[in-house]
Amino acid sequence: MSGFDFSRQPLDPAALSTSLADVAAGGFATFEGWVRNENEGREVRRLDYEAFEELALKEGSRIVAEAMQRFGVRGARCVHRLGELGLGELAVWVGVASGHRAEAFAACRYIIDEVKHRVPIWKKEHYLDGDSGWVNCERCAEAAHAHHDHAHDHDHDSGQVIRTPPAAASAPDYSRQMVLKEVGLAGQRRLAASSVVVVGAGGLGCPVLSYLAGAGVGTLHVVDGDRVEASNLHRQPLFAMADVGRPKAEVAAEKLAALNPSIRVQAHLTRFTEENAAGLVALGELVIDCSDNFATKFLVNDAAVLAGKPAVMASIYQYEGQLQVARPDAGGSCLRCLWPEATRDGMVGNCAEAGVLGPVPGLFGNLQAMEALKLLLDLPGQLRDEILLVDLLGLQQHRLRAPRCAECAGGRCARITGLQPARVTEGLELSLLLEEAAAAGYRIVDLREPGETARAPITAVENFAWPMARLLDEAPAKLDPEQRYLLVCSMGVRSRAAAEVLRARGLQQVFSLSGGLAAEQQRRAAGS
Amino acid sequence: MPMIRLKYYALLREQAGCGEERLETAARDPAALYDELARRHGFSLPQAQLKVAVNAEFSDWSRPLADGDEVVFIPPVAGG
Repeated sequence: MSGFDFSRQPLDPAALSTSLADVAAGGFATFEGWVRNENEGREVRRLDYEAFEELALKEGSRIVAEAMQRFGVRGARCVHRLGELGLGELAVWVGVASGHRAEAFAACRYIIDEVKHRVPIWKKEHYLDGDSGWVNCERCAEAAHAHHDHAHDHDHDSGQVIRTPPAAASAPDYSRQMVLKEVGLAGQRRLAASSVVVVGAGGLGCPVLSYLAGAGVGTLHVVDGDRVEASNLHRQPLFAMADVGRPKAEVAAEKLAALNPSIRVQAHLTRFTEENAAGLVALGELVIDCSDNFATKFLVNDAAVLAGKPAVMASIYQYEGQLQVARPDAGGSCLRCLWPEATRDGMVGNCAEAGVLGPVPGLFGNLQAMEALKLLLDLPGQLRDEILLVDLLGLQQHRLRAPRCAECAGGRCARITGLQPARVTEGLELSLLLEEAAAAGYRIVDLREPGETARAPITAVENFAWPMARLLDEAPAKLDPEQRYLLVCSMGVRSRAAAEVLRARGLQQVFSLSGGLAAEQQRRAAGS
Repeated sequence: MPMIRLKYYALLREQAGCGEERLETAARDPAALYDELARRHGFSLPQAQLKVAVNAEFSDWSRPLADGDEVVFIPPVAGG
């Protein structure tokens, strides 16, 4: 008996089952494909099946052999009908006998999926309106696809690249995770049917995206407006030197499609803003915050809370990080239960300023991927109403209770009424050369730490070294409210934050050097 | 005076120059303790931006401190 056969006669499931009878098998799974009365909105009356028999038999037998080896099952068989079939007739039968049910289900699913993808079978549909049409087997669609090398379509207006799997895409072998009794076939199907929005394709986003793609999450939305930089590569393993300068979301989508061609990855080449937040969050059943700044993190949190969807959030700093899962869908706490007010960017360093070792976001991204899978698969032990702190230098962790705040304990979070636009203070930032600023009467204040200043001192103009922590501690007492100050740091993030704080304390003559010394040097080079 | 065990995270760890320390203090609550430490270590973050946990539970800034308490100051972080 061959593992794969065609039949021109009606199939007899009972006889087929008997052909696999085995006293050592404790589980027997079957799949039956029936002729349906509808396809893509058209009513179907009957079907004709045709096959390239010689090739189809070889390929079909190969699939059944693969399934037996892969899943270690005792017996497997697939029979496909040919010729004319009426509505409700049995078109294809798959049976698998195995020691245990998990492998039986998995192998059965594998066989029917692969047969649909790979075996050259054509189906002619006869519609109720008298019309008829041939429906290609999926492999034939792939062959047609390969002729033109467009794996994706650009939609320039929306800044999106839509990457659809090739028609004959094969899925990875999920058996290692399906063997887990908490996952199984039902869990695998749940993953395939799920959609996740990932904000940020950086140090956190790379592991999150890789593991979710590998696990078979059916749709991934990658939101990132940045381009790949050489300084990203030590902590963002989806990217290579050859990708430098390309949009991160686009490169990530390519790599993920290669990793798992059976999923759909949609790249959104845009920052996550208060304008697009609600629309993007609506695309998934959960959102994962992998961004690198406070403004975006609070925006993700707020948009998720407003949409009533879980948000898996992580943030890192040098050798440590924090993990939190907002559960507005289940009466759980959110970021604002801990921090009612969004922290200003620049108050606490980002990766560029504070530095980071690659495995730190790597670990936290993995934790995020794990929490996301726990949510999607409804696994126990989910992080909720808690925050996890991990210090990778000291190898210490703290898991702290973080319940809902009193303000939203009774219902919706009262702290979030809408999405806040990014805070911008008009006229705060100046794009000058330092000499121009000094000549215009600005006192130049270098906010950098002593080590940074020593490595790259400011020599062009007279300036005051006043590290940010000390300045904020000593202001406003030690500043002259009538004097104009230009605050300077390396990238312009700290100086903007400090200027905002000082303005809030009543010093209206404080400004920030836009883009920091890095941008000032570029302006200098461009001008000379 | 009570002896308090302190743990610092992120920017506070950096500004304190250590991840943990023990301190004999007259501070009666976390708010007073943070004031004292901010002066000593030059902490730049205002207290309002921080969370404090005492003995692994988030706590009020006015909770009385006792000998042997473990106090953790947690700043928000944003890297990714």
